[in-house]
Amino acid sequence: MFIKQPIASLSVSGLAKAFSGKTVVRDVSFSLYPGEIVALVGENGAGKSTTKNMLCGLLPPSEGEIQVAGQTVSVVDGKQHGIGAVHQELSLFSSLSVAQNICISDLPGKPGRIDWPACRQIAEQQLAQLGVDVDVNQRVENLGAGKQQIVEIAKALLHASKVLILDEPTTSLTAPERERLFTLMRRLKKQGVAIIFISHFMDEIYQMSDKFICLRDGRQVGSGNIADTPRRELEEMMVGRTLDEAKVTLTPPSSEQAVLVERLSSHYFHDISFSIRRGEVLGIAGLMGAGRTEVAETLFGLRPFEGRLLVYGEQMIKPSVRQMKQRGVCYLTEDRRRNGLFGVRSVKENLSAAKLSRFVQRRVKGMGFRGEASQAQEWVEQLNISVPSIDEAVSSLSGGNQQKVLLGRWLATQPRVCILDEPTKGVDISAKFEIHKKIAALAASGVAVLLVSSDLPELLDLSHRILVMRTGHIVGEFAREDFDAVEIISLAASSAFEKQRA
Amino acid sequence: MSLKHRLSAVNWLPIAAATLVACILLSLLSSSFMSYTNLQSVLVQASVTAIMAIGMTFIIVTAGIDISVGAILFFTSSLFAKLMMDTGSYALAFACALLCATVLGALNGVLIIKYKITPLITTLATYTMYRGMAIHLTGAQNIPVPREMGFLGNGKLLSIPVPILLLAVVLAVGLYLFNATRFGLYARAIGNSAQSARESNLPVNKVTVFAYALGGITTGIAALILLARVGGLQSGIGIGIEFTVIAAVVLGGTKLSGGDGTIVGSVIGAIFLVLIDNGLNLMNASPYVYDIVKGSVLLIAVVIDKVSVTRQQQHLLNQRAARIRATG
Repeated sequence: MFIKQPIASLSVSGLAKAFSGKTVVRDVSFSLYPGEIVALVGENGAGKSTTKNMLCGLLPPSEGEIQVAGQTVSVVDGKQHGIGAVHQELSLFSSLSVAQNICISDLPGKPGRIDWPACRQIAEQQLAQLGVDVDVNQRVENLGAGKQQIVEIAKALLHASKVLILDEPTTSLTAPERERLFTLMRRLKKQGVAIIFISHFMDEIYQMSDKFICLRDGRQVGSGNIADTPRRELEEMMVGRTLDEAKVTLTPPSSEQAVLVERLSSHYFHDISFSIRRGEVLGIAGLMGAGRTEVAETLFGLRPFEGRLLVYGEQMIKPSVRQMKQRGVCYLTEDRRRNGLFGVRSVKENLSAAKLSRFVQRRVKGMGFRGEASQAQEWVEQLNISVPSIDEAVSSLSGGNQQKVLLGRWLATQPRVCILDEPTKGVDISAKFEIHKKIAALAASGVAVLLVSSDLPELLDLSHRILVMRTGHIVGEFAREDFDAVEIISLAASSAFEKQRA
Repeated sequence: MSLKHRLSAVNWLPIAAATLVACILLSLLSSSFMSYTNLQSVLVQASVTAIMAIGMTFIIVTAGIDISVGAILFFTSSLFAKLMMDTGSYALAFACALLCATVLGALNGVLIIKYKITPLITTLATYTMYRGMAIHLTGAQNIPVPREMGFLGNGKLLSIPVPILLLAVVLAVGLYLFNATRFGLYARAIGNSAQSARESNLPVNKVTVFAYALGGITTGIAALILLARVGGLQSGIGIGIEFTVIAAVVLGGTKLSGGDGTIVGSVIGAIFLVLIDNGLNLMNASPYVYDIVKGSVLLIAVVIDKVSVTRQQQHLLNQRAARIRATG
């Protein structure tokens, strides 16, 4: 029997996306055939989400060609082209029923009279096709995470007869729920649905996928058959070479302990223990949602915890931010726009915010500020912040300069412990390097630094030691001489259900 | 579906229970409370706020709010009285009054979706504006309405008071819109998450404007009943009524955060507030106490609601923590 090459369900070439002139994704080209599972892999910020959004029609591509079943289209229309996506943040309506959620974008009956029995029937059919038993009259908020995921898939499949995009579908699932999802994916595969599977977890990718597309820094850097590609090779492809930039020099830490954390637990992490010495940079690697930011915020007194926390030998019991600040702890937030900067206020005020009491005049009690402007000017020069004037609103600065302002604000408090959460996120290369130098200098001056970063080369460059976190646990520790990028990413990205490796 | 979930789906159950308790207490306080005439008068008293509360439910369920309804009520009454005085045409006055009420409500919706200003601030501004327009229209005079208008407020049809009949009609239409139409479902979906609603390609703007327009037209109907009951336009009409209406909706079981609501609950909520008035009246309470009691009742209802939401979130967090421990 002669078998014709089937027509690709979805095929793209030279796909690119630019936001206000800045290209974030380019050179994405692949074809997807019926019954295929293709893994889209890459580190945080590699451009997976943007690519996904172009493929499901939420974003129009800036360049490139999309073909659906052999027909060229400019923008994907999910309903018309049979392409559906299950996004990482579920988009269900929690107080509506399962049936209402599944059918909401295409309700049976007239607009003025919904045919509820038909709606329930459609929902039941969809769920039966997936081989799961969920009461369609139940409100979605009463379902567990796994069942919600399945409802979301059923909703997407109402139109996604050809291509289903699953974005990190397993992150909130328990082990049995995950197995059920995989069974489902295999069944859909048999029915001829092509699946784009986005996952951080390498073992899941190897278990489920036929092919892979690897993105790095917004560019497609590889593609091929999973069976022909050893795991280590794929991981190396994701991480890439470290940036060819001048390395900072690290000085060895002192032996004096600055921070000691013992058996720290909360809702977001469990049994975390580590210590940081003076002059040491301790890096924490891990995926988004691993609990790194929560640990950092806890150390700054922002979240309640169980366990022991010692700062320079003093045990902190239910510390407040104020108390932590008094002990010389500072915290640089990962979300500077929302939690860090006062956008409409001036650079000067943003720089002085954490140490305002120093500038309050004593002559007329509490009236007026003194020395604020000159101090701000000093920091602007020291950190090389390019700004026309210190009275400029901070929101008008570039990301790199904003980050430097935030860093300057905390350095002005003369900290003894610096907790830095993604200090170079959304920052251009030159500012990044300046911040790196500043961090190294801080450590050299005897400050203990905790560095949380998703940028692995950054961690490798700056840290004396690296801890790896995964789903709320510390799963590995590396000393500088044992640093191995691939090993670290592999440890961070192993599924939570896999037995811990040695 | 388990019984617990089934019962939790009937979100007007708590207010129904509270109302029942209030009825029992009141019948202990006064032997005449349980009489047919008195119960009828309770319903008539509740009808104006209940009708407005039905419209307000649609607004709150989209996670919005309209505090200008008192001003819409006043404007509609003013327009109606003025037109009756100047033209004497019932048809013209009725049509203009109801149309204007709908347009003023819809205008709130348009401003909110077009300029993305929070509903509270938008309707605070239009509240002042609408009230000013009404006073400008009538020159702040009290205008009596013709005697026949009294039928709408105090008359009976088939021995049932007309306001109760009107309430029944609005309730039936409201229930239908809420439960059987796409509009009703979309309104709830938008209240859950406007973002998801947009991603699901729902007509978010249209539905929002329609919800505010519904708030307008129900206020228009309520205005005519109130005008008929009072006998003429007075400057104090509608002042503070937005509080009673919103309180009725929230007491009824509709979430202020949107997404989840009940039409029946809002009507019972309005009745419950009248019962509180009745009770205080029977106890010869000082008139100054009324507002203290009503304010406290609303506060308690909101706090109970908030606590249950917080507890649910806490439960989710605990589940999460358990999962993390289990993977260790």
